[in-house]
Amino acid sequence: MTRGDKYLAAGILLVAIFALAFPRLQSSLFPMATSSARAVIKARGKIVREVDLSDRGGRSTLVVNGRVGPSTLEVEWKRIRMKEANCPDKICVKQGWIEKPGDSIVCIPGEILVRIEGAAPVDAVTR
Amino acid sequence: MFSTRRLVFLSLLVALGTVLHVVEGMFPIPLPLPGVKLGLANIVTLFAIYLYGLRAGLAVATARVLLGSLIGGVFLSPAFLLAFSGAIASTLVMALLFKHTSCFSVIGISMAGAIGHNMGQLLAASLILRSSAVFYYLPFLLLAGIPTGLFTGYILMTLLDRLEKADILSGMIRE
Repeated sequence: MTRGDKYLAAGILLVAIFALAFPRLQSSLFPMATSSARAVIKARGKIVREVDLSDRGGRSTLVVNGRVGPSTLEVEWKRIRMKEANCPDKICVKQGWIEKPGDSIVCIPGEILVRIEGAAPVDAVTR
Repeated sequence: MFSTRRLVFLSLLVALGTVLHVVEGMFPIPLPLPGVKLGLANIVTLFAIYLYGLRAGLAVATARVLLGSLIGGVFLSPAFLLAFSGAIASTLVMALLFKHTSCFSVIGISMAGAIGHNMGQLLAASLILRSSAVFYYLPFLLLAGIPTGLFTGYILMTLLDRLEKADILSGMIRE
């Protein structure tokens, strides 16, 4: 083992640990790793919006008109949540952020459904 | 320049690499990480680079993957494509480091080759699956590449050492 070998091993180790410790940093180091997830928003049975979640610029909000009046959704990079709603129980708001493909927020009184679609994470890689 | 000696040694390396490739495929490592392997066949590729350079390494790696996947029955399947792209990527990385740097021993080069293999594979996997989600697997493969690269590099170092002592190595390189 030369000194160079040891530095190389240490370097690889550092990159791997950093990537594990900071998933968001990993995504910016390896931009290809950001899957093109999007959120599909349905209100009263119809698709009213599709939001691209791969946009890294800041927060934005959007208003959806459900059965109990307007509800406010907040969109961030890779995640979305119900920020405010007029429904009585506020279950959708309490659910907080969702980010994985397949996750969904459902507001029964408002008849609003937010579902994240996109490439599902892989189970295994074979050689 | 054509050299019968070189042709014979390259053929031996291809045969050796094929056997290692096939045998290794039969013994998965008992780790909760799918796809992680020792990369024994990489020893042979690096040996070919050590003896005869990049083109010989590419030839040995390509022939080894082709033959190995034919024997394993996975020729032209995704598994073959992954093995192929990994082998080519690792050969390129190792030949580059071998020729243009002097601060690494075969252990370091082997480690870099293991990482190159994983990167090439992930790239192929993301193209096959048309999804970049596989790159989330990268840190685990990086971590796995350190011990496996160390191990295969150490084996090659021992091999080179013994061949040197037995006075065979210089005869293998001589045209």
